Amino acid sequence: MTPTRMLMVAAAAGILLTTTAACGTPGEDDSNASTTGDIKIALADAQSGQLSALGAWELKGVELAVDEWNKNGGIDGRKLKLTVYDSQGDPTTGTSIARKITSGDYVVMFGTAESAVTQAMNPILRQAEIPSITSGQSPAISELGSPFQFLNGPTSVTYDETLVRYLVEDKGYKSFAMVTNNGGYGTGEHDAFKAALASRDIEPTHDKVVTAEQKDFSSILTDIRSKKPDVLFIGAEEVQAGLVAKQARELGIEAVFAGAAPLATNVYVETAGKDNAEGTIVSTPYLSNDENDASKTFAAAYEEEYGEAAEMHGAKAYDGANIFFTALEATGGKGGKELADEIRSISYDGLLGTFEFDESGVGIHETKVGTIHGGTLTAVQ
Amino acid sequence: MQVALQTLMGGLTLGALYALVALGFSLVYRTMGLVNFAHGQVVMVGAFTASTFYMTANLPFPLAVAIAVVITALLGLVIERVLRPLEGRDFDLMLIGTIGFGIVLEALAVIIWGATGRAVPTPIDAAPLDVAGIKIRTYSIVVLVVAALATLALVTFLHRTKMGTAMQAVAMDPDAATSVGIHVGRSNAIAFAIGAGLAAIAGSLAGPLLYVNASLGGTLGIKGFAAAILGGFGNIQGAIVGGLLIGILDAFAAGEFEGYSELVVFVVFTMLIMIRPTGIFGERTVNRA
Repeated sequence: MTPTRMLMVAAAAGILLTTTAACGTPGEDDSNASTTGDIKIALADAQSGQLSALGAWELKGVELAVDEWNKNGGIDGRKLKLTVYDSQGDPTTGTSIARKITSGDYVVMFGTAESAVTQAMNPILRQAEIPSITSGQSPAISELGSPFQFLNGPTSVTYDETLVRYLVEDKGYKSFAMVTNNGGYGTGEHDAFKAALASRDIEPTHDKVVTAEQKDFSSILTDIRSKKPDVLFIGAEEVQAGLVAKQARELGIEAVFAGAAPLATNVYVETAGKDNAEGTIVSTPYLSNDENDASKTFAAAYEEEYGEAAEMHGAKAYDGANIFFTALEATGGKGGKELADEIRSISYDGLLGTFEFDESGVGIHETKVGTIHGGTLTAVQ
Repeated sequence: MQVALQTLMGGLTLGALYALVALGFSLVYRTMGLVNFAHGQVVMVGAFTASTFYMTANLPFPLAVAIAVVITALLGLVIERVLRPLEGRDFDLMLIGTIGFGIVLEALAVIIWGATGRAVPTPIDAAPLDVAGIKIRTYSIVVLVVAALATLALVTFLHRTKMGTAMQAVAMDPDAATSVGIHVGRSNAIAFAIGAGLAAIAGSLAGPLLYVNASLGGTLGIKGFAAAILGGFGNIQGAIVGGLLIGILDAFAAGEFEGYSELVVFVVFTMLIMIRPTGIFGERTVNRA
């Protein structure tokens, strides 16, 4: 092969790979919804980029549930066929995927784990009456008012109300600094945490908003250090939260770190460094794999399948998938409004607690408080 | 004042990384007249390679970085070898080729290292230095020193060695250089290899500061590219000054404008380029097509 031809092949391969990455695995065909054959279900999550850890966990949780249901005969003898789309954590890519899903004979969609992407995809899925369940926790998702949008965890309002109650009423902390990002998740956390503080007549010493891409926080952290707050609240996804914590300790900030789900993950601990993450207080609906028999069974299956410890996002996705499949079984595999109504009528005991979906699509209404010791999350005493 | 100095320190650290990335862009442009759009992805490959030898093979960090430099330099040679037949003939296809290479590298990185990425532990675990209330991370000092040494080595190579001088001659007039017996292709190959090696140093150093994943190249690549343009594309001093300026601008904008900082950085960048299109050091435009 001549170098020129090799170059053209490289360019063509690049364009092909880009297209493939953006589209994920294409659906089989665009025929209308069928009542025989496999039941087509879709998952849209970041499988690449900085938020891909979230997407990978979600995929594992959903895959595990799909495999279990298929091993047990599927739904009315029909197998569940999962197609994975890579949203890249990008709302624009998400909307493109949403259009593929609406034209691809899919009954439900799982994902995304990212609030902004979920919000972007929502109108398209709503119009097509395809129920979906997200791990995003921004209150803006529940405020969309879509009868086809469900959340497999609480919103930031629940996370942060629980967190502030513990920090203020149980621990007696008085001064709080906030660092949140301007993405969908961070904005939800900002509003919810600030509101929870305000309801106790507390004004944060600092309310700093960073961009989702920001890597250096020297300026805002130095400013925060000067006021010596008791608590530094971090409202950002796993990697960025870890970077904030790491740099805060390196700059001499001694405040307790606090936040919601992202701070309960090993990505946060590894990015911050185990020592820097020590003592972080987290609000989460899923504290441990050893909490009860259900979580132990789930964790063992997860470990066997993927060779790694299960964590909250996988558990959330597993719960969400099982709820949808239970509802699908009740509707005989039918989707649309019938399925959405069925999901809303279910009371389901999952790994995160008892799911009872309200009109806004929220299924779980409480969280627990844990703290990180030695890199592991444990319940507060 | 303390906040300003601390911000400056943070900006200089990231700025040093941008400068290293900008150096790679400028070096290739200077010798070949080509913008290597795969450069950011080479940074990412360097970061992943160094982190693999450091974290998985448990080699000392400097050795892991050295291995990453060698591997990416070889990668640079491969890219140049494929592009070489188009040198002076089809400039557009060369540019598209570098874009294609970048996309291929990113896809390959996902296949080899996975999409999730990894947090790289800081290789120097010493407590930050306290200078008049300013906390200086020891690793930041390492980044600045390594970036300075790499720059010094590059400048020395270009101005004090026969090969470096030959590369300068190729940059100025490839036909005249050829007529006096300088092998233009070899000169370009060395430029690509050195540029890729610098990319590996930048990526390796960025790992413990940031987070290594397949999209790291995009993050550092765009800022490095902007730094190279701001300094004067193709100008070695310009790359360094541009990198540090973008880093400092980035850091102060983050403090002052918070969620709008990226917008502010690129608005200021655009204004500066409008005022001075050739950048601070005004490098002469090179175009071999």
